[in-house]
Amino acid sequence: MSGIELVGAWVSIFLTVCVLSFLYDDNPVYKLAEHVFLGVSIGYGVIEIYFGVFKPNLLDKLMNDELGMLQRSLSIVPLILIIMLFSKVVPKYSWLARIPIAFIVAAYAGVKLTGELNANLMTQVAQSIPNLAEVWEKHGFWDWSADGAGVFSSLFLVLGLAACLLHFYFSAPQNKAMQQISRFGVLTLMLSFGASFGYTVMGRISLAIGRAQEMLGLDRSAEQVAQIHPRTASLICILLVVGYLVAWRRKQGDDYTPGN
Amino acid sequence: MKLDTLIKFQNMDRRWIFLGMGIAILLPLLFPITLSFNIDERVQSLYDSVEEVPAGSTVFISADFDPASRPELEPFFRANLHHLLRKDVKFVAATLWPSSPPLVMPIFEEITAEYGKEYGKDWCFLGFKDGKELAIKAIGENIPETFPTDIKGNKIADLAVARSFKQAKDFAMIINVSAGFPGTREYVLQIQGQYDLKIASATTAVSGPDYIPFYKAGQLTGLSAGMPGSAQYEQLVFPDGPREGERLMATQAVNVLNVGHLFIIVLILLGNIAFFVTRRVEEAAP
Repeated sequence: MSGIELVGAWVSIFLTVCVLSFLYDDNPVYKLAEHVFLGVSIGYGVIEIYFGVFKPNLLDKLMNDELGMLQRSLSIVPLILIIMLFSKVVPKYSWLARIPIAFIVAAYAGVKLTGELNANLMTQVAQSIPNLAEVWEKHGFWDWSADGAGVFSSLFLVLGLAACLLHFYFSAPQNKAMQQISRFGVLTLMLSFGASFGYTVMGRISLAIGRAQEMLGLDRSAEQVAQIHPRTASLICILLVVGYLVAWRRKQGDDYTPGN
Repeated sequence: MKLDTLIKFQNMDRRWIFLGMGIAILLPLLFPITLSFNIDERVQSLYDSVEEVPAGSTVFISADFDPASRPELEPFFRANLHHLLRKDVKFVAATLWPSSPPLVMPIFEEITAEYGKEYGKDWCFLGFKDGKELAIKAIGENIPETFPTDIKGNKIADLAVARSFKQAKDFAMIINVSAGFPGTREYVLQIQGQYDLKIASATTAVSGPDYIPFYKAGQLTGLSAGMPGSAQYEQLVFPDGPREGERLMATQAVNVLNVGHLFIIVLILLGNIAFFVTRRVEEAAP
């Protein structure tokens, strides 16, 4: 491993501890990590976009003598549109920015519309009416090995979907029957939100495990661990950050309010 | 349990929960435990669809993830490369995420070197392309025009592995390792239906529930969601456990994940018991 990689590994562990210090409270060490992260992200993004998009797609084409005059002239059009976008900073000419924005909105609307209609709306609507005979043949009433797929789940899906849609149908009188259907729709929605929330919690714990693996050196080869000493680095960083937090807390004295 | 204790528990400083979660994660990492888990139908289907790719053919990998989603997706990404290369399947890779190239390129180089694969002949990395959905649409229509050069600046016509592939549909399948937007959803919406593509997806746990309908509708041939998905895929690719000196990162982590989940379940149960007991006592009070 090169020296810069070693320093990088230690800095990574230090910044992880700094970010985790937010769990105690918002503090200057966390702010430092936050600002470093933002600065590096913006710097990286600008460089990537300049060399990956702006230069090859615009500058190189404008400067390329091998391209014909017409092709080079065409590249001026996006350049003009970019300049028009910046007219927002001059209030008198800010209306000019509407033209490139209109192009962007129209292009995205066109691209999104076909995809959403074909792959999302049509296919998913068709899929929400399952072939029960086929489901029965494949999974029976309830198949534990396939996450509970089967006729019961298929019927629940259809009824749940219908109830959800009726819950948002406000033109019908809210009589007793409608209220019961609506309640079932809410229950289905809550089940769906619960599943999504469960997956989200799992994702967040996974990220925490990932950081813990790095701090303990479990994601590196034995050779790298012998060079980096991640556990020593983690211990030193934790001691440094905790020591700073104690000093920072003492300095605040009675003025300290958790959550600031 | 006394009422005072229950009230105290309800008003407990949330930092104790963070500390508890930290311990629940660290202890099983330091003293590993092994809990069994089953292979999900969606992950099995993903594995089977890769197994069906004939040796010598080429797949397209869209590595759309960043350091933030690395713990969940890198184990899948690595296992998938091992799976493809040991079957002697070639690959052309690209990404729609600007922060992906420095993350995935070393992994490509490390694993392809292990199998003695040659850059340009057996695999290549076309790098990052901006444009999100428009870039995906372009990958569906014309790859050489979308990526005139690879990440190293070589012309695509000079890369034996990539030069014969004009469109996404020319590949045996598309494997999308997706951490969000742009990713699996956009691939399905923009080009899967139009070109009848075979797409398999590995995604984060957060995105998993959103993509299950795509799998159910046959728009995805397989789906691996989050760390459990990666762990299951690792088990399928390495049924005899990790090779010497290596670790199955997701398999190791999924055991820790189980302990973390148990901790949350216990807190939810205790929180609910405390809530209902204190409410009943308060209601009964004159």
